[in-house]
Amino acid sequence: MSPKKLKIMVLDDEPIVCKRLQPALEKLGYEVDTFTQSLEALHRIRDFDYDIIITDLKMKGVDGMRFLQEAKKRRPETEVIVITGFATLETAKESFQKGVFDFIAKPFKLSEIQEVVAKAAAKIQAQSG
Amino acid sequence: MADLLEMLKRLWGRIRRPKPEAAPFPEIFEQFQTLLQDHQQVMELIADLGEKSGGEYIFDRKYLVDFTNTLHTLLLRMVNSLNLMADKRYMDLYTSLDRIFQPMEAELRGRLLLSEEMPLVIGLSALPLDHPELTGGKANNLGRISQSLKLPVPNGFVITTRAYRKFLEVNRLEERIHARLEAWTAGELDTEQTSRQIQYSILAGLPPKEVAAEIRRQAARDEMYWAVRSSAYGEDGELTFAGLHETRLQVPSRKILSAYKEVLASLYSSQALIYRQRMGLLGEEAAMAVLCQETIASRTAGVIHTLDLSAPEANCLVIYASWGWGRTVVEGRAQVDRLVVEKDPPFRVSAAEIARKEIMVRPKPGGGEEEIAVPPEQQILPSLADEDVSTLVKWALSLERYFKRPQEIEWAQDDAGALWILQSRSMNIPRMTMALHGNIAEITSRYPVLIKDVGTVAHAGVGSGPVCRVDSDAKLELFPEGGVLVIKYTAPWLTPIVPKASAIVSERGSAAGHLATIAREFRVPTLVGVEGAYDRLPEGDEVTVDTKQRVIYAGRIKELLQYELVQAPAFEETQEFRQLRRLLKRIAPLHLIDPEASNFTPQGCESVHDVIRFIHEKAVNELMDLPRFLKRFKGVQIYTLSSDVPIGLKILDLEGGIDPQVQGNRVTAEHIRSLPLKALWEGVSAPGVWSTEPIPVDFKGMMSSLTKTWAESPGTMGYTGFNLAVVSRVYMNLHLRLGYHLNLVDARMHPEPQHNHIYFRFVGGVTDMTRRSRRAQLLAHILSKFHFKVDVKGDLVVARVLHLSQEEMHLRLEVLGQLIGFTRQLDIQLKSDADIPQFMESFFQQHSPDRETPSA
Repeated sequence: MSPKKLKIMVLDDEPIVCKRLQPALEKLGYEVDTFTQSLEALHRIRDFDYDIIITDLKMKGVDGMRFLQEAKKRRPETEVIVITGFATLETAKESFQKGVFDFIAKPFKLSEIQEVVAKAAAKIQAQSG
Repeated sequence: MADLLEMLKRLWGRIRRPKPEAAPFPEIFEQFQTLLQDHQQVMELIADLGEKSGGEYIFDRKYLVDFTNTLHTLLLRMVNSLNLMADKRYMDLYTSLDRIFQPMEAELRGRLLLSEEMPLVIGLSALPLDHPELTGGKANNLGRISQSLKLPVPNGFVITTRAYRKFLEVNRLEERIHARLEAWTAGELDTEQTSRQIQYSILAGLPPKEVAAEIRRQAARDEMYWAVRSSAYGEDGELTFAGLHETRLQVPSRKILSAYKEVLASLYSSQALIYRQRMGLLGEEAAMAVLCQETIASRTAGVIHTLDLSAPEANCLVIYASWGWGRTVVEGRAQVDRLVVEKDPPFRVSAAEIARKEIMVRPKPGGGEEEIAVPPEQQILPSLADEDVSTLVKWALSLERYFKRPQEIEWAQDDAGALWILQSRSMNIPRMTMALHGNIAEITSRYPVLIKDVGTVAHAGVGSGPVCRVDSDAKLELFPEGGVLVIKYTAPWLTPIVPKASAIVSERGSAAGHLATIAREFRVPTLVGVEGAYDRLPEGDEVTVDTKQRVIYAGRIKELLQYELVQAPAFEETQEFRQLRRLLKRIAPLHLIDPEASNFTPQGCESVHDVIRFIHEKAVNELMDLPRFLKRFKGVQIYTLSSDVPIGLKILDLEGGIDPQVQGNRVTAEHIRSLPLKALWEGVSAPGVWSTEPIPVDFKGMMSSLTKTWAESPGTMGYTGFNLAVVSRVYMNLHLRLGYHLNLVDARMHPEPQHNHIYFRFVGGVTDMTRRSRRAQLLAHILSKFHFKVDVKGDLVVARVLHLSQEEMHLRLEVLGQLIGFTRQLDIQLKSDADIPQFMESFFQQHSPDRETPSA
């Protein structure tokens, strides 16, 4: 882990996902903020930089695809990881076209997401170092 | 499959059409194949759901909804297939499905509470767990403490929230309450008025007849006194309503009804109203369950905090104790004894402050309670003996391990000296306490890692203690409270020590296995499939097992343990996990084991597992039902295999499976042209496999039990089925029922490897589950050495291998044949897990063909 803590945003309208991901990632030494409302998350990224964003796709209000597009536009170096219970080849393809780092179908294992986050973190650190 | 179908069609051309209502054989066979695949898929889904309850997966409600829908669809298809095979003789199964699925679907829509299925009043010992919205948080916790942890809890019963709703309904209170609350929020009524008016109408209400009758039945004994407590939904959960609602102590049986109303009314006390308003809960329907428990006339009572709030970093628990009833302690009205005990073994008492205890509360003769002076000589004596302290510490730690949170525990000791748990709730910990830990990732990185990123998580969590390796029954007794159980196999005989373990690490076994299920029930962090754990975790060494990260550290990382207790939410207590466990309860348990039992009927099916077990059994019967079969196949050649091996095997040759020169319907092994059957039979009839030679003494018991099974059990010999192989030159579908074992082999040996497969399924057995699962483990080991992908689910073994050459397939079918012979003996011979490697060894020595070196 680098001396600087990486900042992660988790956005999922199912509170259980946030509730479980937060401590699992904090334990690995990341700083984690969670959101269940995409609109709030959208406001947040206007004035706060996250290194990694983990987002659901299908949400009320601003949907995940739009959110991640916005996030990428504001800060292209942010790595986005998509988690979704509606995983189709199309959504996966579309996500990758929009530059997401990885795409994980729900339900997933804690170790799976921890691994992907570690990879994203390694990439970020390689680029910044 | 296409060429098989072609063949079946051709075969069909040779068969005279039976009566119109009987389905043609190709259709039946196809249904049967589909049914088997569906059965397989359902088994896998059930195993998946079990694994999800272990906390390693992140899932949401949508997953549960999708899961239930998928399962329902599959089950409908299976019922359909069976009815197509069996001329619609199992239409009742549709009703069984409705009966099982409707509550699950209601559950997922959040409507279960309205259902008549839920009790109005229920005894604590029969309390449905995971239904805090029915029984309230307090009662739900007590149910777990007595049913899961088996700690002594005073007898009692719960008047559920359904009874509360009914109370409102019969007294027409809902609207009245709603109107008052609206007036209050609109500022038209003040808090006191609102509270008084609502409480008055509740107290004036009459309990519904059936509720009153049930309460009277539960509290039948007259001389009894009761504690009548609120158990509101949300109480003792994430929100704490502590102290907001009424408790009535020392209530005589005849006054329970009025005490019940008083406790209900306290849901609308002004403090409760203000609290709910502040928490934003006013819009939600309030509901109150009420817990009635026999009063313990305690000589000593008190409270335990498993976290010392005055020194959180010290890793100690605190016991408060005083003479008489616990009120003195709970209300903090007088001086009490305070013992600080280290939470690490050997649980040393690090401070014992014995106070001068001048007053105590005791039951007043004739009801109620009174405060009396403690006799002077007793005032300065410790109120708890040393051995009672140890018992309480043990209980407190197991409660904390189970609820994954520091606990506040109320306990009592009766006049006879017996200890009781009255309540346990999660402590409310100020957030500042948590800041002490610093960076947990940094702290854990200082500890040596013994094992990392190996194994599968069966239950997520963190536990620490001395390594205790258990490989025999003798070591069960010695297992220490809070030890880390390290084992080679996840054997079911380990079940009794699971609740004592702080973590479990197993070299073998799957997250879907029996022990994993038990570990989840007791919420013990468990990691399976950790190759080499036995050697890398030395006996007696302190280790910390973090199955959330799949790391095992040397040493006891107190900071991590505390971090987990205080910081990480206990996933077990989330709504989603409760819902999942409730679904599991309607899906996974298998009640219908014995096909000959009187409840082996569609009506007897209580779970999804029961339904598929029933369908599978009946589908096999259908296919194997001789008279029906012969009728259908009038004019079709069915061969009988003559052999030294006493299996009455019938062979249906689709094409090219039997020597065309054969006359009549008796064939011998030499006449078999079907490649898969030939290979398998070479294995079955190999010397020593179907042992007819003299057998060791140890063996005799087994053989006698085997012959007994064959000769005496109506279930076996009376079974109208027979052993059938449907074959062609390159294909075989074989059902072999030996005793209670059912072997199914489906195999193809085509010249082109990509068309080839072997599917082997093995289920059943005469012995107890422990031995059956040992046998399943053994089969799995041997088969995996031959590159089969093996899944073990309880006593079911499914092994598959794909796309190998004819020669490779031949070898494997031969091994299967040998195993089939071999397994007849296994249940009885496998006495302990230590026998497993020995048997493997002997199997490989005896049966492994020279040309094959099984992979390690």
